[in-house]
Amino acid sequence: MDNISGMEQKKEISSQARVEIIDFGPIKITGNFVLKDMKRDKEESVKEVLLCRCGNSANKPFCDDSHKK
Amino acid sequence: MDKNEKQYSGGKKYKNDDITVYWKPSACVHASYCYRELIEVFDPSRRPWVDMNGSTTEKIIEVVNLCPTEALAWKWNDDEKNKSVGADQCNHIKFRRPELMDITDPVNEEQPVSVKVMIDGPIVLKGYFTLDYSGNTKVVKDNIISICRCGASDHQPFCDGRHRKVGFNG
Repeated sequence: MDNISGMEQKKEISSQARVEIIDFGPIKITGNFVLKDMKRDKEESVKEVLLCRCGNSANKPFCDDSHKK
Repeated sequence: MDKNEKQYSGGKKYKNDDITVYWKPSACVHASYCYRELIEVFDPSRRPWVDMNGSTTEKIIEVVNLCPTEALAWKWNDDEKNKSVGADQCNHIKFRRPELMDITDPVNEEQPVSVKVMIDGPIVLKGYFTLDYSGNTKVVKDNIISICRCGASDHQPFCDGRHRKVGFNG
């Protein structure tokens, strides 16, 4: 089942950011985006970020390479 | 048609005295949390399938918050409460699909992608972006996806609501 309705198999046209799900690793986001952390009430505009997907990072929401352990 | 069940931007609304629940069928991925947790309210075999008198407001909010997509969302009927009470919750419509509250207002293509790290929940991405996963490259256009952050989803890399079950704190 496709969980991502509304997607199309096309290369970047008006894409503002690239979101890369790294296998067995974090999610990498680059480009034009705003990161809002609802729990820690922080908002930032950066060019690149690596966010934890394994749930084990000690520095959430960011990846700290805990997934490799 | 039930008087509480009104068409809005391709979806439906259901009300009780406290809240309105928004239902957007095209967004449903059948994660099934709604009817597994609260069949008294969310019964797919009944028409209308949502019965807002089937449980308490608190319980309905809890179950709508389990929905991993924007298919179910909710807001207070009292707009003052929408500004604060429950506004941090994942399926509070103010954060999930503000454009569903009245008329459709698509995100401008030039807008930065919104990346929201939900409280003890997924990463919710909204806007125009390119998604690479498991060797696929797809362009997401004015849509929302939720990426699992707890590591427990059975539908990786997407959120399936499991963070609640595992008590994810992050």
